[in-house]
Amino acid sequence: MAAKRDQKDRKRQGGKPVTRRDFVKSGAAAGVGAAVLSTSGTALAQQSPVTAVRWNYEADVVIIGAGCTGLPAAIRARDLGASVIVIDQNFDPGGKMLHSGGQISLGGGDPLQLRDIEGKGDPEGFVTAPRQHSVAELTEDTDFLFRDHTDWSVMDAAAQAPYRYNERDLHRAYADNCFATREFLMKNYVRMGRISGTHGNGGMSRARRAVTFLMEGATTDIKKGTVAKQDAGIAGKSSSHFAPRFMEDGTTVASKGARTNGAALARPLEFSAREKGVRFILNRHMDEIIREQQFSGRVVGIRASYSPRVDPETGRRLESLWQNGNIDDRTETIYIRARKAVIIGAGGHGANAQFRSMFYPAWREPAFVSSGWALLGPRGQDASGIIAGMRVGANLAGMQQNLSYASTFHFPGNLATRDPYTDMLPGHPTFSMRGSTGINLANNSFQHLIVVNQVGKRFFNEMLVTTRQGGAAFPAGPNKGQPKKGLEHVQLDWRNASVANIRATYAEPNSVHAALAMNEGSKSPDFYSGPIWAIFDRAAVERDKWNIEPPFTSPTNGFFFKADTIQELAVKIQKGHEFQRVPIAYLAETVAKWNSYVDKGSDPEFARGADAPMHKIDTPPFYAATLYPVWHDSYGGLRINGKAQVIDMQGEPIPGLYAGGESSGGGNQHGLGRALVHGYIAGTNAAREGTS
Amino acid sequence: MGDSQPNPESPPAATTDGGATVEPHTISIAAWDVPPAIGAGERFTMKVGLKCLEGCELADSEFSIYDHDGALVATGRVPAEIWPGTAGLHVAEVELAAPAVDGLYTWSVNGPSSEEPDEGIPHAGPSLGFGIRVVSRPEYVVRIEAVDAADQTPLTEARVFMHPYRAVTDERGIAEVRVAKGTYKLFVSQTRYVTLGLPIEVDADMTARAELYVEPVVERN
Repeated sequence: MAAKRDQKDRKRQGGKPVTRRDFVKSGAAAGVGAAVLSTSGTALAQQSPVTAVRWNYEADVVIIGAGCTGLPAAIRARDLGASVIVIDQNFDPGGKMLHSGGQISLGGGDPLQLRDIEGKGDPEGFVTAPRQHSVAELTEDTDFLFRDHTDWSVMDAAAQAPYRYNERDLHRAYADNCFATREFLMKNYVRMGRISGTHGNGGMSRARRAVTFLMEGATTDIKKGTVAKQDAGIAGKSSSHFAPRFMEDGTTVASKGARTNGAALARPLEFSAREKGVRFILNRHMDEIIREQQFSGRVVGIRASYSPRVDPETGRRLESLWQNGNIDDRTETIYIRARKAVIIGAGGHGANAQFRSMFYPAWREPAFVSSGWALLGPRGQDASGIIAGMRVGANLAGMQQNLSYASTFHFPGNLATRDPYTDMLPGHPTFSMRGSTGINLANNSFQHLIVVNQVGKRFFNEMLVTTRQGGAAFPAGPNKGQPKKGLEHVQLDWRNASVANIRATYAEPNSVHAALAMNEGSKSPDFYSGPIWAIFDRAAVERDKWNIEPPFTSPTNGFFFKADTIQELAVKIQKGHEFQRVPIAYLAETVAKWNSYVDKGSDPEFARGADAPMHKIDTPPFYAATLYPVWHDSYGGLRINGKAQVIDMQGEPIPGLYAGGESSGGGNQHGLGRALVHGYIAGTNAAREGTS
Repeated sequence: MGDSQPNPESPPAATTDGGATVEPHTISIAAWDVPPAIGAGERFTMKVGLKCLEGCELADSEFSIYDHDGALVATGRVPAEIWPGTAGLHVAEVELAAPAVDGLYTWSVNGPSSEEPDEGIPHAGPSLGFGIRVVSRPEYVVRIEAVDAADQTPLTEARVFMHPYRAVTDERGIAEVRVAKGTYKLFVSQTRYVTLGLPIEVDADMTARAELYVEPVVERN
């Protein structure tokens, strides 16, 4: 039935961009009562119950978010014959996946593990690099993977248990669907290299990670697996609309000429989705999930508002890289009916300061953003999927797990930008919204500066500010908090969590906590910690050869200042930075004190000088650049079961509602693997739902 | 040292100009290029820069340098030229004589006083402290050869520190540090490499080879 309807839809659309009129006709034909296209969502929103809603569009499956959960869900649902509409608040599909490293940990005996075990390459001949792991390190089954992902005994170097609290039904399904998901990705133009270790919290016992790549070629051709050099990015000069971040060299995981990162995953999935007839309504933020009754009945659709993004320099609306399949609707509010299901893949909560303060009140500080802030825009990662689910009765899961992964929040070490995680270069349409790439410093370079809080006081040993622990994952070992490394690791062994082991391996980096601490400038009721500043001088720039010119810094975005004296620098910071709410009153005193420590050769406050030389900050001009922490991952969200159905407060699935990725909770796995599997599962089950 | 602090001992009073109160402008000071280790009694040079935060012209303004006992040891005037790379800093080089006894001393630079208003506008009397490290005459030479641990190629411009002594490697990866007898923490540091640090006791000329490893790139995923 669904397949027939879809054929009818496709015939009507003729493979061309679809108009609102097409959907009105479609809705009318389906007997939905959508004879008239609404022009005012506000009025309709006040009309309840659901029977009063005038649907603007309808499809079998409506997906919120064109990211790591939404795109595989959309393709999978289409493969099973469902018609699919994907909305996204941003102007371009991809979500966080687009700026990711493209690292996918699956496992359980997935096709790439088997490929490496057999010593084979890929059918296209791109993967010629030697295998990186022994057969034993690649051999496992789904039961083994399931145990790894639910192992109570594992403690990481921060004395947190990353696997203990994972939802068991969800991870049983995860283990059972890793093979199919890896295979699904490969069938949808995603090329992946050799298995290389395991991504954060992807399990302790076996190697499971593969990185996505495209081969550098004359043109960008997803079917052929190539990316033009200009699209892949030119080191230190440019990113592109295709890839917001410079694509790294992939020689060791594939072959010479391979370029890797999340663009090699997101763009092939987007390409495949468009090719298969998935329709996109971009610039469209989901505001409400519509259920027959607030806490009962089926989920039948969504309400969404127009959320265009405009280039501040040209005044033009930003447009997606590819257009085919887009529905360009600029109505303020629209309603979209889902005949079978709604899937929430709207991302996490890292950019919602109020939401994330549930986990850590100090993160209510609005200065700090989620990774991909400029790429995703002000409404990205805003917890809207989770909040909308809660409004129709959803339960939550994994709410403590934000504190169980080292990358959830940290200092990336990229100065002079509000989004230090995404080292975007000019070339992407959102570059003007951040204004600067940032000065990306290696840890050793922090010897040349001091870091101060909003009142100008140091708060931590600068050489340790960017230190962070990796996730507890293969090959594990003491540096990940585990007594044994690699194949020696024993699942479910009490010794993993023994007091002696924890004492021996505990090494939680605390710089973020010190940065977020209250200071003399913190005021009631929120006691914001304020911005963090790296302070350095011309001698540092010359000594360590930093490039502080545009595009790495911006003279106008308020994240980088230059002055002839430290006092003048303090004045400029207070006048020019949006979140500098109080005078940076102690800056001159702090610099003078620091210089006296350098003269003495020791730092009585934070023990600098023990692991690197100390340098005076005395040579004009002087510089201040933000050193912002970032909230990267989101753990804690909607509770879902093994079918990716959203579960209500009574433990029952909410009919017609699915979720995955960072909109869901109970899966403390970093990166793309969990979201891709959730999307695959959600798309499968949503397409198989009955039609409402 | 980086900058001036308003002198709390002699805050300039606000004055009136035609009945209106005129707040004093702040002059800020920079002082740099003091050698990290100066032989006892040796002469050395340093730089002093002045700037009014309100943008007043400070060409030919006078500054004074006082030693650790508060004795005036030098005066100077800043020229009209703006120091390269700055927006409005007037900079003068001044020659001084180090104390005759080893030790760490705190001297200070004072800017123009409030008795010399610019067009009737008083300026806050600034003062900035800076350190003078006086050392025994170095007796030994520590020769450091810095190389990349992976391919053994020389590391040029690596920084060698034996506080308070320091040197930079040449194109052969070699630096020579002249130091007094004693125990030091030797650091060899280069951009993008992990700093090598180890204790070292010097009681004769010495040679050491420092193999530095490239700092792992933090995975950003």
